[in-house]
Amino acid sequence: MVAHILAQKGVKCLMLDAGPAIDFERDKTLKAVYDLPYHGFGRPGRFPHVTQANEFDANLWADEKQNPYTYDPNDPYYWVRIRLVGGKTLKWGRASWRLSNYEFKCKDHDGFGENWPIEYKDVAPYYDRVEPMFRVSGRKEGLPQLPDGVFLEDDSHDSAAVERFNASAKRMNIPTTKQRRATGALASSVNLLLPAALASGNLKLVPNAVVREITTDRNTGLANGASFIDRVSKREYHVKARVVVVGASCLESTRLLLNSNLANSNGVLGHYLFDQTYTKEIIEGVVPEARGGKGRGLTGGGGYVVRFRNLDKREKDFLRGYSFDFHTGGTPPAKCLPLYGTALQKELADVAGAGFNMTCMGEVLPRYENFVRINKDVKDEWGIPALHIRHKYTDNEYAMVRNAMNTAEELCHGAGFQVIAKHSQMVPPGESIHELGSCRMGVDPKSSVLNRHNQTHDVKNLFVVDGSSFVSGGVQNPTLTILALSMRAAEYMAEEMRKKNI
Amino acid sequence: MIQSVLVVSAASALPLPLFSQQQKTAVVLDENPKLAVNTADAVADAMPRFFDPEGFKALRHLGEILVPARQNLPGAVETEAAEFLDFLIGQSPADRQTLYRDGVAQLNAQARSRYGRPFAEVTAADADSILAPLHDPWTYQDPADPFARFLRAAKDDFLKATVNSRQWAMAASGRSRSASGLNTYWFPIE
Repeated sequence: MVAHILAQKGVKCLMLDAGPAIDFERDKTLKAVYDLPYHGFGRPGRFPHVTQANEFDANLWADEKQNPYTYDPNDPYYWVRIRLVGGKTLKWGRASWRLSNYEFKCKDHDGFGENWPIEYKDVAPYYDRVEPMFRVSGRKEGLPQLPDGVFLEDDSHDSAAVERFNASAKRMNIPTTKQRRATGALASSVNLLLPAALASGNLKLVPNAVVREITTDRNTGLANGASFIDRVSKREYHVKARVVVVGASCLESTRLLLNSNLANSNGVLGHYLFDQTYTKEIIEGVVPEARGGKGRGLTGGGGYVVRFRNLDKREKDFLRGYSFDFHTGGTPPAKCLPLYGTALQKELADVAGAGFNMTCMGEVLPRYENFVRINKDVKDEWGIPALHIRHKYTDNEYAMVRNAMNTAEELCHGAGFQVIAKHSQMVPPGESIHELGSCRMGVDPKSSVLNRHNQTHDVKNLFVVDGSSFVSGGVQNPTLTILALSMRAAEYMAEEMRKKNI
Repeated sequence: MIQSVLVVSAASALPLPLFSQQQKTAVVLDENPKLAVNTADAVADAMPRFFDPEGFKALRHLGEILVPARQNLPGAVETEAAEFLDFLIGQSPADRQTLYRDGVAQLNAQARSRYGRPFAEVTAADADSILAPLHDPWTYQDPADPFARFLRAAKDDFLKATVNSRQWAMAASGRSRSASGLNTYWFPIE
């Protein structure tokens, strides 16, 4: 996004990306699952921490042996990465929600953590511009905890099952809405942002450039470029720059700053790592009236349960809140049915099209004790020291998800759905792929790394423009906010460059 | 150096008189040939290597019970799911190998204890008492008991191996396009 804005403003930019650029015509082919070596199971042990990978897209995800990291075995961390031009925007789930002042001013609301140095009104104009670029569809609801956006209006009809669920939620004073998603066959920086930047003639894009460190001028302390290694040949290079912008994705950005010994005079860099709790299939259910092939017209589609906890009323057991995605239709997974053989086949045929499921995302409290540091004993394929990651969930998260499970079950019963499985197990930290923080914004240079413009306090021509800058995360998927903040930071940079402040 | 082996079966040898009557056809030289190839799966029998013979028979019978054939759709036996899982488990990390090896051994141990015969010779009805953990309600966490964990894994793996097979795609894609198993395979880096 920064390159998209600056290049079109006439600023000469060079983008270094650690991976190759996909050739969308050459780098893919249609295959049958039975022609894959592992018939869709994937090579065993290839991705111990990437549950999202499958054998068809395995080559998109960052290789864990080439890109190692460490953690305490008692506290596993699942670090999920894509090292290709476009990064995780090639595979993201498209969910596009705005943060609200419940997130930006979270400390004012419940006393925990820190406020962002900005508030909703500072970011709203950038959300307004990003949503049309990413063709976000949604429905306006007028909810303060989930601000409305500039949407492709979604006025699609809800199936009867969705209507029943929404009615159940309404009776419990719980708001629901349509999904808000970036639409289009591809919703990535590679098709929505980079082409315009490249067409301006002001952007040079260098793929397969693994940045080792950001270099600084010994006299001024300002950033003056970057050293990088060709991914394939391992040849070393250096490039000079007037301003350095790091958007390598949350933990890679922090890793780069730590390895460069930059922006850490206060010792805060790496700390306040958090993400969002992710509880897959918190409910699996059946719409009873849709059994026996009667799902057509009754089931189909889904929606979103908006955060409703700890807004006006304080909960006893936990701070902040959670949200649900829900879907109707499809077939409940065979694993959830305590049957096998012919009995299982009969039941699966009976519930085909009658399924219902919910997934939960919850806010994680940012804590100093959750952090990343450099592990000098472990290096990646290019000799760059790896990260050691420490991230534990606490009582707040566990209590929240238990509450979520019970609430989800109540919602289902209110809709007349049969619950066949429920649980309150969060996936390990990291697996949500919503890692945030570790290079957070703040007003106080003693307790933050960046100022309100994503500019490091220590080095004024160094900016960090990804999820590492977040102070709190809410339950909203972070990509839309990352894009809006990056756009805002880019415009600030351009103005500062025009004034020759940087 | 022999670089390839052409296997010619007896049935493919033509009788001499017929051979001599074949017309010679002109071969068009292609400077950019795209050769039609086959996968090994499609033309050869995979050889089980991980499980011992009795263990493999038990595994195969388990597959037959868990995923039987029905209504013109093949089951685990017809799709050679056990053969595939023998290969997959043989390439898996040690903990999964132990889960399966011990699980299969338990199948045989329980079958001998209850019915005086190996698991491969137990009827589906009799097997139900051994497979009782599969009737427990599902939990997100894996069961603590290793045999229950094995049965749960085997149920999922046999279902997936069956549905992802060539035989399943041939039988089911006439009814449903999604059953063809086709998808986009990416290789920007391989």
